[in-house]
Amino acid sequence: MISDAVLGPPRAGGPGGGVRRALAKRRTRAGERTYAGLRWAGAGLFALVVVALLLSIAGDSGQALLHSGVGFLWSGTWNPAAGQYGAGILVVGTLLTTAVAMVIVVPIGLGTAAFLSELAPRWVAAPLSTLVGLLAAVPSIVVGLWGLIVLTPVFANQVEPFLASMPLLGWLFRGEAYGPSILLASVVLAVMTLPTMVALSRTALAGVPVADREAALALGATRWQAIRRAVIPAARSGIQAAVTLAVGRAMGESIAVAMVIGNRPAIPASLTAPGATLGSAIVNQFAEATPGIGTSSVIALGAVLLLLTVLVNAGGQALLRRGHGLPVSTAGALR
Amino acid sequence: MSAVVVARRRELIRATAQRSLMRRRLTGRIAQTLCAVAAVAAVAPLVTLLYYTISRGAGALSWAFLIHAPAPPTIPGGGISTAIAGSAEIVGLALLLAIPTSLLAALYLFERSGRLAAGLRFSADVLTGVPSIIIGIFAYALLVLPLHQFGNLAAAFALAVLMLPIMIRADEEAMRTIALDLWEAGIALGARRGRVARSVVLRGALPDIVTGNLLAIARAVGETAPLLFTLATPFAAMTLLIYTDGTQAFPVAQETAWGTALVLLGFVLLLSVVAKIAAWRISQRAR
Repeated sequence: MISDAVLGPPRAGGPGGGVRRALAKRRTRAGERTYAGLRWAGAGLFALVVVALLLSIAGDSGQALLHSGVGFLWSGTWNPAAGQYGAGILVVGTLLTTAVAMVIVVPIGLGTAAFLSELAPRWVAAPLSTLVGLLAAVPSIVVGLWGLIVLTPVFANQVEPFLASMPLLGWLFRGEAYGPSILLASVVLAVMTLPTMVALSRTALAGVPVADREAALALGATRWQAIRRAVIPAARSGIQAAVTLAVGRAMGESIAVAMVIGNRPAIPASLTAPGATLGSAIVNQFAEATPGIGTSSVIALGAVLLLLTVLVNAGGQALLRRGHGLPVSTAGALR
Repeated sequence: MSAVVVARRRELIRATAQRSLMRRRLTGRIAQTLCAVAAVAAVAPLVTLLYYTISRGAGALSWAFLIHAPAPPTIPGGGISTAIAGSAEIVGLALLLAIPTSLLAALYLFERSGRLAAGLRFSADVLTGVPSIIIGIFAYALLVLPLHQFGNLAAAFALAVLMLPIMIRADEEAMRTIALDLWEAGIALGARRGRVARSVVLRGALPDIVTGNLLAIARAVGETAPLLFTLATPFAAMTLLIYTDGTQAFPVAQETAWGTALVLLGFVLLLSVVAKIAAWRISQRAR
């Protein structure tokens, strides 16, 4: 509050002036203290939540680590009936689905971003990017339902047999075509990470100075050469951040993956075989986990997943922060 | 060098340049087409997803579907009223927890600089990327396991934790759009910080804060994984109902799942469209 309004018009030496001033001062100080306290409480509460999250996940997975030892991290068997718990195969499944999803989403996402930011006229780019943005708003459970009911039969009957019959790459997709598989899970993950990939790399491309494009064009580059040799290299760290954050999102997605991956914690024979990831195993094992050691082992899977995603996301954030426009020479534009 | 030789060389250079240009143009044409194809491929999933959700969900949708309690999965005629009410209650409770906390924390980040603020900002950014299932486990470990009780409160806590970092960062970004001069002017006039926060920062940033919070709500409404650990029955929230019914083989259950998915999707898309329009109107006004 403006002090004049509190004190009224200055009445130097007037009766009661000193008291009024003292009162106002105290009120001001009290209000200030309340506000500072509240602000502190908000920040403190958030810090508390972060610390509690780390502590409780670490604490509750302790029992599992005592039971299985450090081998929990790489041991390949997940057999609750025999009391054997290990995250190894699930880590492999998580990395595999994420990698395949990235193979799908990086070219499509980057191509879309280049199209939206560099090639398409505004009246095409604006509605298209709104649509891609809407995809980000679709709840993962709805994507999972779509994957399970719509995509599964298509994959079992058309996509997987077709891929298996391909000349050079067929071996990647050999074996029975069930539908639910590592491949289908990766496709669903690609759909879910696409908005992240497009939005972030589009921002990175749009942040490249127009002068970079003009310099390349003036040197005789075609429009595509300007994009390929000048714009994309200049946006590199932003694009790396986009991929990293997409990786983080893909690793952590659980419910949609659990619906389409087939949930078999074993080394998959091919990409069309069912598999399991950390997230999908948590979803499936949690309800039937034996209280105590079983539950603790599921929570320990969560701890492993947390560690992986925090590492990846911290990397992505660092890249994002670094990525504020380092000028890149356009000399390489023409070759 | 005779004029003939020079002319021939010029011709050769021109031809080579022409060929190079043709080749580069062709590559460019192909690459640009591929980019356009990628853009079509990027939109295709959303289009088919919307098509299936609307066409299959519309069959299930009726007034009775919205206001009746669920029936067993094999029996037609049940509704999803409990799930809608449950989702609304959980998200409402979560908002009560998350909105004040995030606003205050954002004010802290806005006004303070230093290591603690930077650390909190970084934690918020990283926490935004933490999988929602981890947050479900956290709520389970913190509330459900010690109290031996599943319920809406634990679920609301999980969703609040999920929304907190998103809201904090959105609020802070919104506050940063208020020019620092305005804040300084307020302080220089002798106003208390709390007063400046209320009358200058919050009032100016309010439209952007609303937009950011709407997007956070849209995300929370659609979350399934945190509820899996905190609610005892699938009928207590829309997303859980979709998960349970969608993974069953009975056609009736699947129809319920699609119907619920349509209601959920409609609500979430509505929220994000409202948020987008709000953001657009703000940017128009700022111009």
